[in-house]
This record gives sequence, structure tokens and C-alpha cells, in this order.
Amino acid sequence: MSQVQTLSPASAAERSRVMSTATSSALMLAPVLLLCGVFIFIPALLTVAGSFFSFGVTSPHWDFVGGANYARAATDPVFWTAMKNNIILVVGSVVLQVGLGTILAAILDRGIPTGSTFFRTIIFAPIVVSSVAVALIWLIIFDPNTGILNAIVKGMGLTPPPMGWLGDPNISIWMVLIVGTWQYTGFMMVMILAGLQAIPKELYEAAAFDGARGVKAFWYITLPGIRNVLAVAALVTTISGFKAFDLIFVLTQGGPANATQVLGTYIYFQAFKFNDMGYAYAISVVLLAVAVVLGSLQLKSNRRA
Amino acid sequence: MPRFRLTALVTYGAVTAWSLFVVLPLLWMVMAAFKTRREIFTNPLGLPSGFSFDSFSRAWGVGMGTFMLNSVIAVGLAVLVIVIVSGMAAYVLARTDSPIAKGIYLLIVACFAVPLTAVLVPLYQMVSAAGMLNSPLAIVLPYSAYGIPFTTMLFYAFFLDFPRELEEAARLDGCNQLEIFFKIIIPLSGPVVASAAIFQAVFGWNEFLLAMLMLTKTEAKTLPVGILQLKGEYASDWPAVMAGLAIATVPILMIFILAQRYFVRSLAGIGK
Repeated sequence: MSQVQTLSPASAAERSRVMSTATSSALMLAPVLLLCGVFIFIPALLTVAGSFFSFGVTSPHWDFVGGANYARAATDPVFWTAMKNNIILVVGSVVLQVGLGTILAAILDRGIPTGSTFFRTIIFAPIVVSSVAVALIWLIIFDPNTGILNAIVKGMGLTPPPMGWLGDPNISIWMVLIVGTWQYTGFMMVMILAGLQAIPKELYEAAAFDGARGVKAFWYITLPGIRNVLAVAALVTTISGFKAFDLIFVLTQGGPANATQVLGTYIYFQAFKFNDMGYAYAISVVLLAVAVVLGSLQLKSNRRA
Repeated sequence: MPRFRLTALVTYGAVTAWSLFVVLPLLWMVMAAFKTRREIFTNPLGLPSGFSFDSFSRAWGVGMGTFMLNSVIAVGLAVLVIVIVSGMAAYVLARTDSPIAKGIYLLIVACFAVPLTAVLVPLYQMVSAAGMLNSPLAIVLPYSAYGIPFTTMLFYAFFLDFPRELEEAARLDGCNQLEIFFKIIIPLSGPVVASAAIFQAVFGWNEFLLAMLMLTKTEAKTLPVGILQLKGEYASDWPAVMAGLAIATVPILMIFILAQRYFVRSLAGIGK
């Protein structure tokens, strides 16, 4: 009995401490749940729900149309052009940005005796410049009248494309890819460099002892050592390839004649130019589905890396 | 020996070539800003004939100062919210074993996969219905929300490895969870907080799509939206546009060069 009496005040205090921890936990979690709920979760649900309706940006009437928006996308050539352009950007960016990023990172890690911080700083710098500024700078580099690219090409005795670098539907998406590579290769390089520096130096010494140096060491030690980092780099690049908007919006507005349209710009134009919200929502759902699949892959490989 | 010299030539050649490819457009932007409107047509490749700041004052007149201030305020607020809110949540989640906590963590991870581009339209309609268009909150709150998942995951991993002895000592001294977080955890989390803050600041400073939709009045615009307006107003005045770009990018490049070590540590973190 006496034991119970001595215990009970303590357990009451214990209980109140647990209670207050529960309360403070809830308080500390509430802002995250509120912000992510209101600005991520609800819009994501609305996107899926809205894709089955037809409505305008300010229209109070939502007409249920079932899968009509998706059926329309399936037969809309511009939607497929946009999808194709996203895939071109994704594949091109993975090859160029991750590929060049790996080579540059390997050179900075072991290929040059001095100056690697200097070069790393320069090559990484474009990541802090806003895409709008990057696009505007390249817009006048590509400009047929004032552009330096035409001046350089003419200086070499060649003929620049008569319709302009961004005006020719056959090459414009590749010009976008070049600008993206200019901006993001340094970012990939830095990510991969972090992975390279985690490879134990003894491995290289042992390999050099066995006669594997330079390119051989790169092939047999460096590449296997950064497999996981490369996978994450490729996924990050793939996701941003599907999210592409800024560069294209400023460089070409999706033109000429939809030649550089991507899902992001097409959503924007359907929603805010053609006031076709339901259709914009349906395309958004496609983008959302792609992003969620890729995002879960990224988290998986992140965990392994 | 000559073999090594050849290797050095190739490696230095490669990094120098890419560095030039990166630097020349930026250098050209600055040079074009000093050229006259005629010079930029007649002499696109050469140096400017003089150093006149006319185009800078034309660009500044559009409101570069206001754009910059708006960007500083929006990014500063968003980074502050992201760090505090994600930190608190990550700390609670890293110290709780209940299934509810696991569920909440999974929910936050799921939010990480949702790109802004895919939910842009409903987001715009919600913000517009709430009457928040052209207010800084119209971008501060979404930037915060979209910065939270990654930051929470980053902090969560950090707090799991955080030694518990100090927290226990503080608890015995009568500190509650909130006090422990602000008095013990945050002061000892400097590097990870700095990493998260830099990462989110770079994202927010450059974010364009949402800002363009939400901020349509000149006096409300942030830098990325503002410099696009510059191009709209000075359609053929490339020197003014380039001067505006120089005003917008040179300061951030300077900060980057001075603090590049921290930027590298922060941005390379996404691969981990």
C-alpha cells in the first residue's frame, strides 16, 4: 500500500510529462502537416480530381467529362510532341550532363595536380544564375542579327541556319539542350566529385602497383566506385528533364510551331492561354505520375548510396 | 615523362575549354551591357568602345532595386520557415517510434516526389481564391512547402545520429521538447542548417514559374520575373537587358565565389 502511495505521485508526474511531450510533438509537427497538406497534398488531389472535369480558370461550373481529357491527350499530336521533347531533353541531359560531369569530376579529382578548386568554382557557377537570366543571355547569343554565334560561324566560313538557331524547328530543341548543359553540367560534376572523393586512395595505389593508371584506373576503380552516385545523378537529371519549363519558356515559348513544347509549357499554355483547365489538369496528372515513379526510384537509390 | 606531360595537357585542356565555355557567355553579358545600342549590332564580338553606365541606369529604372528587395524578403522568409518548421518536425520524428510518426514521415517523403509544375494550376487557383495574388505570401508559403520535404529528410538523417546525452541532461533540468530543440539541437546543428539554408536560398532566388503566375504587378515581382519584364520593355535595347542581367547575377556570383566551399557542400548533398 505504502509502495503504491509513493509511486502514484511519480507516475502522475510521469504521465503529465508524457502528455506534455505528446502535445509539444503535435505542435512541432503541425506546421509541416499544414504547409505540405495545403500546398502539396490538396493541389495534387485536386489535379487528379479536376482532370475528369471540363472548366475554365474562373468558371464556377465543373462539367464532369470522365476520361475525355485523357482521350484527347492520347490523340493530340502536340501532347505527343511535348512528351517526345521531354524524352529528348532527359536522354540528352543524362548523356551530356552526367557524362561530361563525370569526366570533368574525374579530372578535377585526380587528373590535375593543382587548380582543381579554381576550375570547380568556375564550372559550378552557372547553378546560381537564374534560368531566366541564362535563357536571356543565350537568346542573344543565338540571335540571328546581334548574336555572336552567327558571327563566329560566319567567321569560320560556314553558313548559319537561315531560319535562326531557335527559329528552325529541326534544331531548336537541341539548342535548348545545349543551354541546359551549359547550366547544369557543373552541378552534376560537383555531385559526382563528392562521390569520387569518397573512394579510398589506397585502391588507386594498389591498382597503380598492378599497372592500372589513368583511363584504366578510371574504368576499373572510379566508375564502379561511383555507381550509386551516378544512378542518383541520372535520376535527378531525368526528373528535372521532365520538369523543364523556365529555359524553354524564355527561349522559345514552346515554338516554333510547338517544336520545343514540353509537358510543363503545354500545361501552362492550356491553362493560362487557352483557359482549358480540365485538359491542363489531365496533362499535369501525366507529369505527376512520371515524377512520382521517378521520385520513388530516386529515394530508393539514395538509400543505397 | 613526356607521357605525363601529354596527359596534363589533355586534362588541363579539357577543364580549361569547359571553363571558357561557361565564362564567355557571362563575360559577354557584362561587355554587352557597356555597349551602345548600335555597337551591339555592328560589333557583337569586340570590346565596348567606352565604359558608359547609361544602360545600367535604364535597367535600374524599370525597378531592379524593388525586384531585388522582393527577392531578398521572399527568399529570406521562406528559408527561415523551411529551416524552423522542417527542423522541429524532423526532430520529433527522429525521436518518436510510434506508427503515426512513421506514417507522417512517409507522407513527407511522398510530398518530395510531387513537382511544382504538376500541381501549378490548382495551386494558382487556390492562392487566387484566397486573394493572395501579388502578396509575398503567395510565393513564400508554396516555396516553404516545397522546400520542407527535402529539408526534413536531410535533418531527420542528421538528428538520428545526434548524441542523446545532452538532451537527457536538459530534460532532467526540466526543459521541455521545444526548449531542447531550440536551445540544444539547433545551436549544435550549424553545418546542416547552413547546408539546407543555402540549398533552399539558391532554389528560391531562381524560382520563376510560380513567381511569374502569382506576382503580376511590377512592384511585387521578384528578380527572375522582373528581368523578364525588362526584356518586354526594352525589346530591342539589348544593352539595357544585359545590364539588368548583370545587376541581377553579378552580386550572387560574387557571394558564390566567396562562399563556394559552402555552396558545394550544400548542393552536392542532394546526391546523398
